[in-house]
Amino acid sequence: MIEDILSIKDLVREEVNKAKDSKTIQAVRVKFLGKKGILTGKLKSLNSIPNKHRPEYGRVLNEVKTEIESILRKQEEFFKSAELENSLKANRIDVTVSGYYIPCGHQHPTSRVLDEIVDVFLSLGFRIEEGPEVELDYYNFEALNMPQDHPARDMQDTFYITDDVVLRTHTSPVQVHVMKKNRPPLRVIAPGKVYRCDADVSHTPMFQQIEGFMVDSHITMSDLKGVLEVFIHQIFGPKIPVRFRPSFFPFTEPSAEIDIGCVICGGTGCKVCKNTGWIEILGAGMINPRVFEMVGYDPEAYTGFAFGMGIERITMLKYGIDDIRLFFENDKRFLEQF
Amino acid sequence: MKASINWLKEFVEFSLTPQEIAETLTMSGLEVEGMEETEDDTLLEVNVPPNRPDCLSINGIAREISAVLGLTLKQPHISVSESGAVERPAVEIKDAGLCMRYSARIIRGVRIAPSPQRISERLELHGIRAKNNVVDITNYVLLEMGHPLHAFDLDKLSGSSIVVRQAGSTDKFLTLDNDERTLSSEMLLIWDKEKPVAIAGVMGGLNTEVAGDTVNILLESACFNPASVRRTSKTLNLSTESSYRFERGADIEGLIKALDRAAHLIAEIAGGEVSAMADNYPASFIPVQIPFKFSKINAVLGIDINPQRAEELLTRLGFKIKREGDGPTVVPPCYRQDVRCDIDVIEEIARLYGYDKIPATLPAIRMQSELPAMRNLIKTVTESLRKSGYSEAINYSFLNPSAFDKLMLSPDDARRNLIKIRNPLKNEDEALRTTLIPALLENVRLNLSRGEKSLRFFELSKVFLPSGQKLPAEPLRLSAVYLKGADSSSLWQGKHDGFYDLKGALEGLFAELRIQDYSFAAEGFCEPYLHPGKSCAVRAGNMVIGSIGALHPAAAQGFDISGEIYLFELDAEKLLLNIPAGITYRPLPKYPYVERDMAIVVLNEIKSADVSAAILNAEPDMIESVSLFDIYTGAHIPEGKKSLAFAIRYRAGDRTLTDSEVDLIHSKILKQLADSFRAELRS
Repeated sequence: MIEDILSIKDLVREEVNKAKDSKTIQAVRVKFLGKKGILTGKLKSLNSIPNKHRPEYGRVLNEVKTEIESILRKQEEFFKSAELENSLKANRIDVTVSGYYIPCGHQHPTSRVLDEIVDVFLSLGFRIEEGPEVELDYYNFEALNMPQDHPARDMQDTFYITDDVVLRTHTSPVQVHVMKKNRPPLRVIAPGKVYRCDADVSHTPMFQQIEGFMVDSHITMSDLKGVLEVFIHQIFGPKIPVRFRPSFFPFTEPSAEIDIGCVICGGTGCKVCKNTGWIEILGAGMINPRVFEMVGYDPEAYTGFAFGMGIERITMLKYGIDDIRLFFENDKRFLEQF
Repeated sequence: MKASINWLKEFVEFSLTPQEIAETLTMSGLEVEGMEETEDDTLLEVNVPPNRPDCLSINGIAREISAVLGLTLKQPHISVSESGAVERPAVEIKDAGLCMRYSARIIRGVRIAPSPQRISERLELHGIRAKNNVVDITNYVLLEMGHPLHAFDLDKLSGSSIVVRQAGSTDKFLTLDNDERTLSSEMLLIWDKEKPVAIAGVMGGLNTEVAGDTVNILLESACFNPASVRRTSKTLNLSTESSYRFERGADIEGLIKALDRAAHLIAEIAGGEVSAMADNYPASFIPVQIPFKFSKINAVLGIDINPQRAEELLTRLGFKIKREGDGPTVVPPCYRQDVRCDIDVIEEIARLYGYDKIPATLPAIRMQSELPAMRNLIKTVTESLRKSGYSEAINYSFLNPSAFDKLMLSPDDARRNLIKIRNPLKNEDEALRTTLIPALLENVRLNLSRGEKSLRFFELSKVFLPSGQKLPAEPLRLSAVYLKGADSSSLWQGKHDGFYDLKGALEGLFAELRIQDYSFAAEGFCEPYLHPGKSCAVRAGNMVIGSIGALHPAAAQGFDISGEIYLFELDAEKLLLNIPAGITYRPLPKYPYVERDMAIVVLNEIKSADVSAAILNAEPDMIESVSLFDIYTGAHIPEGKKSLAFAIRYRAGDRTLTDSEVDLIHSKILKQLADSFRAELRS
């Protein structure tokens, strides 16, 4: 009897060995362990076994059942994982097709550079102010020490709306607005669009500037140098040579122009730097006491510096762009490079 | 101003190379913008700032070099022998405010001929065409000494007297360049007894030109009011070597020297006998006295320079320092009229001391940086739209008013009310924008013409609206354009209407700005350039903040573009007003949700957003969200109707909802939808 039961194990092994997939294993399981299965039948007939042999018989039956279950499970697991693998392999996609996404848009290169510049000055404690683009002649010129008939007005070809309303030619009028409204200490930058009646390869009738100024009781020209050097080194790298040279602006005195070593040729001389090795990027100076008088500050009590630069120019130098008109043409192929 | 190195060396003997001298000049304030080598000379292109008319000459630049390098300045050779009869031109000045000094000499018996080569070559080198010996010498002296001179043919003058007065009723005058000029009454002219013979400080008249047959001349050296010369030159659109210098300020004390240098050269080269000099000088020049505190130098510049060194630098520049009375006084030379107060003196010291020797320091920082709200908005908008695939465009602020017809705006549309530029570069650019749309459509046109098929652009720029005040209002606008390409290059191109692409970008922006209270309302909305069936107003809070829609095909035609184009334009200030103040945390729900779908059939014109809102409002405490996941028309749906399928998420804040509770609400909603929208459950 016991041998009969033990031989069932061999029968199961035989069938399992013949099986090719998990389905067959399932059938084997039903055949032996199902409700009407061979082993189940043996278990059911346990009652008919004489009492004397019953415990021994029952123990063997259970052992065999456990063993069969284990055999079936192992083989089933083997088949199932193989079958899963096969079905996954069958469900193959073309991984070389490019994925779905909306390509990111691009920030305008001048906005990108402007953000960089603004961040440098914010870290130096400057705050941002803005002024109108259509401006009174008074703020654009007069209050900046450029009275009517001043030849310095030639430096800036002006669009006129009426006799005393202009499109601002620079961001400097923001200085006057801010100083009229506030008392020192002041540490301000003012970005924005400006307009000049001029158009060629290197001039567009509209461009962007950023103005900066600082007014307090002990601001010196060496502070101006310090702040601008920090700025230039942040934007163009710590190794770029910088030089300050005298210049003229009616609203600053002393005035300076700031050159950096030519980023195109590295200072050896090229077309961009007109063979000088230097490129002008900034105008600056100590705020002219006459401007302080205009806004009602005591020129004996306060000193300050101011600077201004063209965003397009800095962007051109930073990225090696050779035609300023590209900034306002909005050719997708241009914008997508930034 | 061009300056020959050889000529400069006649006045100051420096041993620096042309490169070195260019560098020296640049670093002391006269920027050398370019250099031109000739056979035996180098020509410097010097950028003389408007406040330094004293450097608009070879002698002036040489004087600057001598100051910077501490070298001696030589003067041009002048020796006038008044060999002529003691005749003296009579000079009358009507308004000493307009003509501060007028001196003249008569030279009789000149022989007009071509100039000697050394003169004509120098003139040509410096950009002035040689004419004849007398005229060339006046120009030569202008270049050499910086003072404009003029020679009249004495015999063409009526009499030998000069009157300096305004044009008055004279309105036409033929200038030397054979151009008839239209005068205005306040322009200052030089007159003989009867007629005008020159426009003062600008150009002489053809009627008294020194030409081949000239024998006797009257040589003028004068000083005119800078503003007056500038106005005249601007009005006539006639800028000359002479007007350029006069409007910046001539050296009133040095003009006799220039007159005599020219008289000397004319007598030497063209011959003739020089008369005595007339010199009408109504009010003598009084040098400015500038009270000066040496301590202020260091306070402004942040350097440590002692008074002796400062004084030495100033002396080199020809300044005098007087130490009497209350304290030191600085007196600049008469040719430096730009120096008027102590800060001007400090700049001179800084220039000569060298900007490169000023140390770089950082002022103590008082933290105060904060970004203005608008700046933050710009940042967020740029980032959000960028992520949605939109690139930032920047267009000129100008607008061609013909765009309004292309946009089919009605004649009384407020946007047609423009700020106009009086002197536009091109007539098409005569106005300032009141909308960003035309520029974006122009961008589409350009990119289409260059072969692009799809485009996503946005622009954030000011528009300019007349305000009734002197200055216009300048609100910031946010506009975007989406050109949905017939784009076979993308595998993933959606089949939906492109409107939803653009709208999605905008809704993404609202989400980023945390604006929740917004809606898109087509009722009563009409923007003439938008497709009437595919456009609507954009509302946020209780205000309309802009519009969105497909471009009207007729407008597209007007802009010469084609394709599926979608646009929005928003008022950025209003967008800003609707951004909620801060983030407030809401506790996470404690109980699970139950989700049920509901598909209903309604008439086509029913707006899904209205249905969603009705569902949400049916039981606001129990319904967490409603989302539309399908719109279907076609088989099994009656003509004129559509099926809308919503996923409704039920959740209560205080308990787990039971199925029977949810069933009850669900059927209640259905009944309400049947009442308000005649909705039927889709079978």
